[in-house]
Amino acid sequence: MSSVAKDEPQGDARLTSDAGERQLAAWEIASIGSSMLIAEWIGASVAGGSRFIVAIPITLAFAFMIVSHRLHHETLRDLGFRFDNFLPAGLLLLLPMVLVAVVCFVLGRRLGGQTNFHAWHAGTPIAVQLALGFGWGLAQQYVLQGFINRRAQLVLGKGWLSVLLVAAVFSALHLPNVWLAVATFTGGVVWAAVYQRAPNLFALALSHALMTWVIIATLPPSALHHLRIGFKYFS
Amino acid sequence: MDSRSKSKLGHLLIAKSMAEALLITAVSVGFYFVTTNPYLRGVLDYADNQTVAGWVVDEGQPAARVEVQLYIDGIFMADQTAAGYRPDLREARRAEDDWHGFVFNLPPVPPGDHEARVYAAHAGGAGARRTLQLIGKPLRFRVTGSEKGGASH
Repeated sequence: MSSVAKDEPQGDARLTSDAGERQLAAWEIASIGSSMLIAEWIGASVAGGSRFIVAIPITLAFAFMIVSHRLHHETLRDLGFRFDNFLPAGLLLLLPMVLVAVVCFVLGRRLGGQTNFHAWHAGTPIAVQLALGFGWGLAQQYVLQGFINRRAQLVLGKGWLSVLLVAAVFSALHLPNVWLAVATFTGGVVWAAVYQRAPNLFALALSHALMTWVIIATLPPSALHHLRIGFKYFS
Repeated sequence: MDSRSKSKLGHLLIAKSMAEALLITAVSVGFYFVTTNPYLRGVLDYADNQTVAGWVVDEGQPAARVEVQLYIDGIFMADQTAAGYRPDLREARRAEDDWHGFVFNLPPVPPGDHEARVYAAHAGGAGARRTLQLIGKPLRFRVTGSEKGGASH
């Protein structure tokens, strides 16, 4: 991952830190992770899936992240809401996406699944499916890369360590669905590494939507337990 | 990042942690009340190889009759509404009327030691959950051949 630093020659002064800042950044990662876990596990189980209860930790997390960006003097462009590096980011994502798609297709065939590109949000046109997926992917990638990856870089610096930390957090949020955790760890590594080289959340969101669509279309639903996570995994 | 921003961020993290701790506490307490009826009172008075008897009152709704389920050695045997005649409950001011008793007549039970448990059924979460609450303490009884064994509270 030594090439990571070379790809962003201008650097980002907001990603350098002292010891106090590193500790705060680690706490920020833990705090956002805990909010997501509360929503997944407490909200979906004890609160009976109440959307209001689930919305509270999610809202707290997003409000906190927005204030944190302001305190860190981070702009939308810093976070990856930009278009100038869309193409480089897309090119970096292209090969891993093709590889994952091929693996999913072969695996799906071996597991006896039938390819169905309408399986995700059945009954809605593919364009709408992808649009919904893009929005959901953008939200996830913003949290994962725009916040956690940037804070992970404050804690561990650019490179494999911070990439692996981001992937581990992303994967842990998909437990106890073990196979989905493995898949998201793989995706997390690719997306985090690409973000550190070309921070563009739109390209990552598109990749997220396409990969989810391919996974759902090619693998039998039972293979990834219907993508259920948290307490819903058991229902 | 200047020290003032760090301080603000630290305070914000503490505030968020406290808010989430309060949320978890509130949800846990709410969950307890949804799945449990804290106003249920009852006693398992007697158990042998022929009958299991006792009473149960929902002090939150004294006029309501409570559904009870009998388990012998952990196996469901029968259920009924506790609406049997128990004037002693009203006299002891445990109930507002005389009809909160239950008597289960048991099917033949094999010889040996057995345990009777009676649970009150509680529907919560607008019917989304149905839970069982133990009434009184479990009673053990012994059946030896054709003898009638019994245990009383």
